[in-house]
Amino acid sequence: MAKGLNDAMFRAMRRDLRESVTGAVRVAAVEIMNDLAKAGPAYSGAFSSAWYAIPPGQEPGGPRSEGSIYKYDLRNVPRGRFTRGSYFEIVNGASYAPQALDLEEGLFISQLDVDGEVIEPVKTPTSIGERTGKLRGNVSSGTGFAVSTAPLDWYVNYTSGGSMTRALEQGVKIGFRDGPFGGRGGSARGFG
Amino acid sequence: MNYQAIRAAVEGPILTAFNNLTPSVPVYFDNITAVPLNTTTEYVRINVTFGITTDPTLTTSLDNVRGAIVIRVFTEKGRGPARNQELINTAVTVLNVLNNTGKPSAGVFFRVGQINGPSFSATDQSPHFVGRIDAGYVATDLS
Repeated sequence: MAKGLNDAMFRAMRRDLRESVTGAVRVAAVEIMNDLAKAGPAYSGAFSSAWYAIPPGQEPGGPRSEGSIYKYDLRNVPRGRFTRGSYFEIVNGASYAPQALDLEEGLFISQLDVDGEVIEPVKTPTSIGERTGKLRGNVSSGTGFAVSTAPLDWYVNYTSGGSMTRALEQGVKIGFRDGPFGGRGGSARGFG
Repeated sequence: MNYQAIRAAVEGPILTAFNNLTPSVPVYFDNITAVPLNTTTEYVRINVTFGITTDPTLTTSLDNVRGAIVIRVFTEKGRGPARNQELINTAVTVLNVLNNTGKPSAGVFFRVGQINGPSFSATDQSPHFVGRIDAGYVATDLS
């Protein structure tokens, strides 16, 4: 009788733990994707809308929208994707992601309208002027139409410079707080 | 916070290492225009970024800066990876020496984390073969 009760409690605890971890991972993914969208380049806004949290090996989709910097919420990280565990990758599905992340050189064309005026980007530029190299962020002040909406190496700075760790901590904190053990999402079944 | 001293702590040793090579290899830093576009000359580009300035630690000191350093080595395309890897190795050696240097009594204590790469790329748009390493760093201003 007592053994049956213990087994039921352990099963419930395991279920609660899995639910808490999945919730924490989903919130952390949303925090990180919103940070990446804000920190990264945004001319049309398409690149900012192409972040996906997916299990390893799965292909990301393409950009979701343009016209503004995309705002992510939990609907972008469906619970169903994490049924087999909480290991996932955050990847950008834009075809030009390696150039936007400053990982590869590329060819950049000034965004001019029919009157030859520079089309306004959705994000305030960090530099406008002359192109000084073949990386996305190689733009310095001077005569020219080149526009950069994020500093060079913004991505490495975010992932290795401490900001991603901070977003992950924040996401996990919020995720656990709102889960079965946090008191906001109902009492934990294992301790019911 | 002395950002310039933090830059100098890592940029100085790298510059010295590449200057000491025969022939020496030019090194360019932030906000300095490198060689003209489309040249095939080899060179090195260093980008030091600042991520978080006030990073609370176990002590009450807030003088910890976190950020990232990206080192790109540009060598001529179509000649194999050997020269590029040789130059990348010079940069990695400098970072490892910095990591193995003890904490000074004053100035900047600079340590890098895991070094990612090298990764290599060669695109149609560029005359260069580009090798790249990056690493996060923590710098403490002890002055």
